[in-house]
Amino acid sequence: MTSIEPRPLVGIIANPVSARDIRRVIANATSLQITDRANIVLRVLASLRACGVERVVMMPENGGIRGHVHRGLQRAANRGEATFPGLEYLDMPVTGTVGDTRRAARMMRDVGVRALIVLGGDGTHRAVVAACRELPIAGISTGTNNAFPEHREPTVTGLAVGLAVTGRIPPAVAFAPNKLLEVEVGGSHHDVALVDVAIVAERYVGARALWRTESFRELFVTFADPEVIGMSAIAGLLAPRGAREPGGVHVALAPLERAPLCIHAPIAPGMIRAVGVEHYAEMPADRPFGLSTPAGSIALDGEREIAFDDGREVSITLRENAFRTVDVSACMRHAARHGSLVGADALRGSTDSITKEEE
Amino acid sequence: MAENPFPLGRDQLLAAYRTMRTIREFEERLHVDFSRGDIPGFVHLYAGEEASAAGIMMHLTDKDRIASTHRGHGHCIAKGVDVKAMMGEIYGKVTGSCRGKGGSMHIADLDKGMMGANGILGAGAPLACGAGLAAKFRGDGGVGVSFVGDGASNQGMFLESLNLAAVWNLPVVFVVENNGYAESTSVEWAVAVDSYVDRAAGFGLPGVTVDGTDFFAVHEAAGEIVARAREGGGPALLECKMCRFYGHFEGDAQTYRGAGEVEDLRANRDCIKIFAQRVTETGVIRPAELTAIDREVLDLIEQAVAEAKAAPLPTAADLLTDVYVSY
Repeated sequence: MTSIEPRPLVGIIANPVSARDIRRVIANATSLQITDRANIVLRVLASLRACGVERVVMMPENGGIRGHVHRGLQRAANRGEATFPGLEYLDMPVTGTVGDTRRAARMMRDVGVRALIVLGGDGTHRAVVAACRELPIAGISTGTNNAFPEHREPTVTGLAVGLAVTGRIPPAVAFAPNKLLEVEVGGSHHDVALVDVAIVAERYVGARALWRTESFRELFVTFADPEVIGMSAIAGLLAPRGAREPGGVHVALAPLERAPLCIHAPIAPGMIRAVGVEHYAEMPADRPFGLSTPAGSIALDGEREIAFDDGREVSITLRENAFRTVDVSACMRHAARHGSLVGADALRGSTDSITKEEE
Repeated sequence: MAENPFPLGRDQLLAAYRTMRTIREFEERLHVDFSRGDIPGFVHLYAGEEASAAGIMMHLTDKDRIASTHRGHGHCIAKGVDVKAMMGEIYGKVTGSCRGKGGSMHIADLDKGMMGANGILGAGAPLACGAGLAAKFRGDGGVGVSFVGDGASNQGMFLESLNLAAVWNLPVVFVVENNGYAESTSVEWAVAVDSYVDRAAGFGLPGVTVDGTDFFAVHEAAGEIVARAREGGGPALLECKMCRFYGHFEGDAQTYRGAGEVEDLRANRDCIKIFAQRVTETGVIRPAELTAIDREVLDLIEQAVAEAKAAPLPTAADLLTDVYVSY
């Protein structure tokens, strides 16, 4: 028996503006309300506290989550309940842009959080990883396509993180490696994608989302899951590849009339479209892939981010073991197998008294 | 000429630029003339917010009706209201859009589908519902568009209009031009539901938030929303996050704004600069073409001011004309 990490710090980045784009109109996508996001934070906090986490630090935002969370904490305090851990906010300016997420991720690392819980869609998670690859992250999907964060009740995600950071789950079980795609433009690092890089013919960013299939040209994916929606679904339905398997998939796309293969894929919520495929192949790690498309836009995890023209060299490289995520499923199965939550005293007391079983 | 990568043709790109530039110069000139005491009444300037009006109005025709706000000059210009008549109106002259009796906050031109700027916050929303209801009865595919600011979005009339439009499934688009301030109060202090998409969802409407300083983002989103309304898909809300270069009204000391805030906005979030850079760097539009438009617009504004100054004021005999209309 060994004693474990005293007073582990957990970070939360909750993006108030994910799931606000044009897909609400073109594809009947969900609008997750601010109060729901705040309620998710409160559920996660309750789980963390139940596991003995006493300190949580959050990214400040002015989108409304903070106020609702404060009400929940205040009510619990007024009732004398210790339902939630102590909550602090990072001391940083709020700009209301993706820059806040990036800055917060770096600050979380610097203040020593053990794991970072992220509420957002693929784009939010991408921003976190782009800024900081060191921290293990636990994703909670509050975005539109959500190919990256798993769909799961946040209470359980909170429990898994709580069990992991308090040392009840061995790190080798709790944290899993992930792939990502690095994008270089004009010879220098530009950005990363966690799920997919799509090249489309449209040379403007505009409303960002991708839905005009005739403009799709190329697709690179870290994993290809036939159960997700978005661009990676195209690869998922052609050549499934797990997030933990080596390598990714490259798909050459073309307008239907020019393509030898047609695939029907859910490219957005409620939007199943015929997409023309020229060919597809494995994408080995660490090998830069150039583009066969001379000009267009690069979409990262489903959103157009940068337009490029002739002469700007673009390359995409798959990296393995690039960052870690909390493997919620593995954590909860381990907890069940080892009876981590069994017994009247299983979750009682502070983390100082928690011990873990030697593996 | 470079291949055009944009969703609009060259002519449309140049038209969009001309609209935005006309609004900007109109407002910059009013800023100067008002400070000199040349203009009666009150003016609220739209400078900095041009991409919203231009990006949305490009999807509308004269049969589509808009209801504007106290900050309505940009909406008027983008909807095609005559600039000289607008200037005449603001100067209070008989050559004005409303014969000089309305002023800045009451400019209207029904032939252009411009139902009026509005001095009452939120009051345009029910008018847009009326326009939407009329279009629905006529079956002409027209839409009503209501503009409000973040402040007016808290008004009962606006919220009731969201409900009415949803209940009657009206072809109405609610545009919230969120410049961050309700007069001098930050949106963070004054709006209980911080996301306008949430607010729309509360009434069963889809909502979309876009960067209102990006003409192409506004244009693309507005195109989908307007088309949806025309096709019977019902009302929707579009939030444009944007920035106001001047105060709430001319003369506003703006003590509520941070040091250097406006300078930063003008340097980094000027929707016209952003647009000009995008269209010229691709080679689709030459810088000289934009410069030529700049000159033409300046001439137009100069003429509009000169003609407005030279025009006569209304007389006492005009007081009771144009008050009632017989149908």
